Amino acid sequence: MIAALRRRTAPYFLLGPGTIWLVLFFVVPLYFLAKLSLESGFVGAFEFNWNWSNYSEALSSYDTQFVRSFVYAGTATLLSLIIAYPLAYVIAFKAGRWKNALLFAVVAPFFTTYLIRTIAWETILSDDSPVTKFLHAVGLAPSGHVLATSGAVIAGLTYNFLPFMILPLYASLDRIDTRLIEAAKDLYSSATQSFLRVTLPLSLPGIVAGTLLTFIPAAGDYVNAQFLGGAGNRMIGNVIQSLYLSQADYPAAAALSFVLMVLIMVFVVVYIRFAGSEALMGEEAR
Amino acid sequence: MGSSEKGRGRASLLAATAVAVLAAAIGLVACGGGGIEGGGSKEVQTVKLEGKPSGSLTISNWPLYIDKETIPDFEKETGIKVHYIEDINSNEEFFSKMQPLLQEGESGGRSIFVLAGYETSKMYKLGYLQNLDKSALPNVERNMLQSLRHPPNDPNRAYTVPWQSGMTGIIVNKELAPEVRSICDLFNPKYKGKVDFLNEVRETVPLVMKCEGTDPETATEADWMKAIEKIKGAAESGQIRRFTGNDYARDLTSGDAVAVIGWSGDAVQLQADNPNLEWRVPTQGCMQWSEDMVVPIGAPNPTAAEAFMNYVYEPKNQAQIAEYVNYVTPVEGVKQIFEKQDPELAKNPLIFPSPEFTKTCSPTPPLEGEEEQNVIRAFNAVLNG
Repeated sequence: MIAALRRRTAPYFLLGPGTIWLVLFFVVPLYFLAKLSLESGFVGAFEFNWNWSNYSEALSSYDTQFVRSFVYAGTATLLSLIIAYPLAYVIAFKAGRWKNALLFAVVAPFFTTYLIRTIAWETILSDDSPVTKFLHAVGLAPSGHVLATSGAVIAGLTYNFLPFMILPLYASLDRIDTRLIEAAKDLYSSATQSFLRVTLPLSLPGIVAGTLLTFIPAAGDYVNAQFLGGAGNRMIGNVIQSLYLSQADYPAAAALSFVLMVLIMVFVVVYIRFAGSEALMGEEAR
Repeated sequence: MGSSEKGRGRASLLAATAVAVLAAAIGLVACGGGGIEGGGSKEVQTVKLEGKPSGSLTISNWPLYIDKETIPDFEKETGIKVHYIEDINSNEEFFSKMQPLLQEGESGGRSIFVLAGYETSKMYKLGYLQNLDKSALPNVERNMLQSLRHPPNDPNRAYTVPWQSGMTGIIVNKELAPEVRSICDLFNPKYKGKVDFLNEVRETVPLVMKCEGTDPETATEADWMKAIEKIKGAAESGQIRRFTGNDYARDLTSGDAVAVIGWSGDAVQLQADNPNLEWRVPTQGCMQWSEDMVVPIGAPNPTAAEAFMNYVYEPKNQAQIAEYVNYVTPVEGVKQIFEKQDPELAKNPLIFPSPEFTKTCSPTPPLEGEEEQNVIRAFNAVLNG
């Protein structure tokens, strides 16, 4: 009797710490943020009055930065996928005893802080650097500078979030039962066919997880645009930062944060619908 | 648990990670929140002095704004234990961080802030600062430069004491942009993508106004908007590389920028690394400003705070700071000390500008109320392009 009760209640106790964390650091701040986003007035004397115009103004004044953020984040995600897939494939199937070393190499940049790595890119891409000179010579940087352009911001985002793409891709590729690929070959499929019909579909959960893990933080990022971007490359994260910290317009900053959150949420829902929830949960969930 | 169950477990772990990161990303955006309501008490109190200064004192200041000896010397002389924090990087950012505390009548344990005049006048109006008791500030009364005694934001220096003052003009690389002498020259297509502007609305916009022939002190909102429009055009065409704070130093030293709008004190320090860099008063004049020490409400131990203010207004103590920071020193008598110790420094017009040197320069122009809101919004729209 008591044992049965214990068995029934145990999961709730196990959920406890996580739930408290989520309520304290997510739900409560979210409530204050929502309240703030409907206030109006000047700093020191904000007043709650269901001021919905914060939202319409946020959308109409900063639509350019929203579009720009999603374009930058989308491009960076796509580039990450193109770079990460072959790499993850090699680590999973071909690396042999080098597997752990290669995985370590993927994670190694994390030993240095994100900020330092981004600042390092300022040096790599500065106008007199060999990299910039080379890009200019091959016609990829017609203006003669790479730093302070959209290209630099996208490159920074791609670089910084690449490991978030590689690791889930590796995890899903590594799980693939190689006998399935052998079976495909036994059934006379070419290498391309077996990749397209067996490997790729089975790695879909990794692709979906990787793209989400890359796209979501990239869309809200402001560090790369801050250091690597110039005038006209600011992302929505920079706008929120400037509204909150330099203009002290807290309600507008809060409204903008909400709009960003909702847009990302909508994107995630549509994406998962489109990709199929099985893709995220793994083929067994079907 | 069967093998397929196990497989699903691993896959949903992946999904769970995704959800957790999503939550974290959203949480990061959300952490800007916090309820701010009601108005503070608008009645300004005066600091209450209690006997001989002692105990401990916390000061918030900008990075690299004091030499390494002044604090230990002050501690030795007075027995006050100083906690000196360099946590101010931008007037507005610091205000936003402190505002919720100040609203509750607390100062986060700090007894002195060093902020620009326009920021302190905003805080004063919100009731966040205390008036000073001048009886404990004889050195300040005696030694403050005449030119700094009656600023428009605090005509009798009732609540502010200048920490340092300085000038905003242009810093050029003499080799790469020798003919840049006015703010208008920064719009020359020859320097496209090689020019940085300051992200400070009260300095960048008035400087552009001056190049347009408008006096910032009497400028209307339309004049501000016209100058902002000009800056916007240059930002969109790629003429302006980026808007910066002190970080223009990086662009100048790497050669990414050849001319920037910048601060006089920075130039003195940058020259030490690269003699080609030079600060210039723009043809149509520079901007002059001071950054002031203030005592916030709820400040613990204001007696020690005033003792510190008084201490740094002793010329020999100030000379030590001036030698290190290279901004315009607000204390009379420092120049005489340098003339004996370091004549080269005493001649530097960036540290001791003559009235002749700054005759075309303007003080930070007044900007208030709705006009302020509109101008700041328009300028930030350009920054966020």
